[in-house]
Amino acid sequence: MSPLKGHFLSAGKPTHKLACFIQSRIFRDAYKREQFAKFEVERRALRFIIASNQFNARQKTEAQLQLTQLPVSSQPTKIKNRCTVGGRGRSVFREFKMGRFPFRLAALAGDLPGVKKASW
Amino acid sequence: MATPRARILDLMRVSCRLFNTHFNPTGERTGNKILRERLKGPTLLQYYPKEQFSIKQFKRAFPDLSMSDEKEEIRLESVESHKLRGKGKPKKYKLGRERTAGKKKSKRK
Repeated sequence: MSPLKGHFLSAGKPTHKLACFIQSRIFRDAYKREQFAKFEVERRALRFIIASNQFNARQKTEAQLQLTQLPVSSQPTKIKNRCTVGGRGRSVFREFKMGRFPFRLAALAGDLPGVKKASW
Repeated sequence: MATPRARILDLMRVSCRLFNTHFNPTGERTGNKILRERLKGPTLLQYYPKEQFSIKQFKRAFPDLSMSDEKEEIRLESVESHKLRGKGKPKKYKLGRERTAGKKKSKRK
């Protein structure tokens, strides 16, 4: 049996220019998002074949194999929300797309409407 | 009093017809669940803001506004300093007759 292909995370660049903080990890994440969007329909079709009972076991196994053959960069779990101001990967506020410290600075400066410091 | 099974099935059929859903009384795994999901790609692509236009394009579109392109200025400065040090771009190589056009011909004796 030939070795399975496409199990590595291939490096790439997003096709468009980004208007946020530029960092290689952000670049990579943007690329992964593009890859995911590109392969999403295919992934969905294979998942449907696996989950439905209209297909026989052989077809399902085939679909499972094909699903593993899709590029790793197109897997949705590889996508990570990063801070668009500093590129931080942890403690990023989803609503503001910011890490905790840029968020604090922006909030204290009054740049975020509706956000104010709690005190009780 | 328990409702008969047939009556419940009838109700399910009607509700499926009304709400345009798949009638599946035996609860078979049809995989419709996966097809029903929305495509996530477009929303995931929106996370990082895309560059709509470059500063160069903006300056070209609005020449009246005195915008300063910092990166471009730094680049031009470095080009100037290179030129001063004699490290500028080389002269364009001319071919054939063009090369000899400006030169004075030395007459043979």
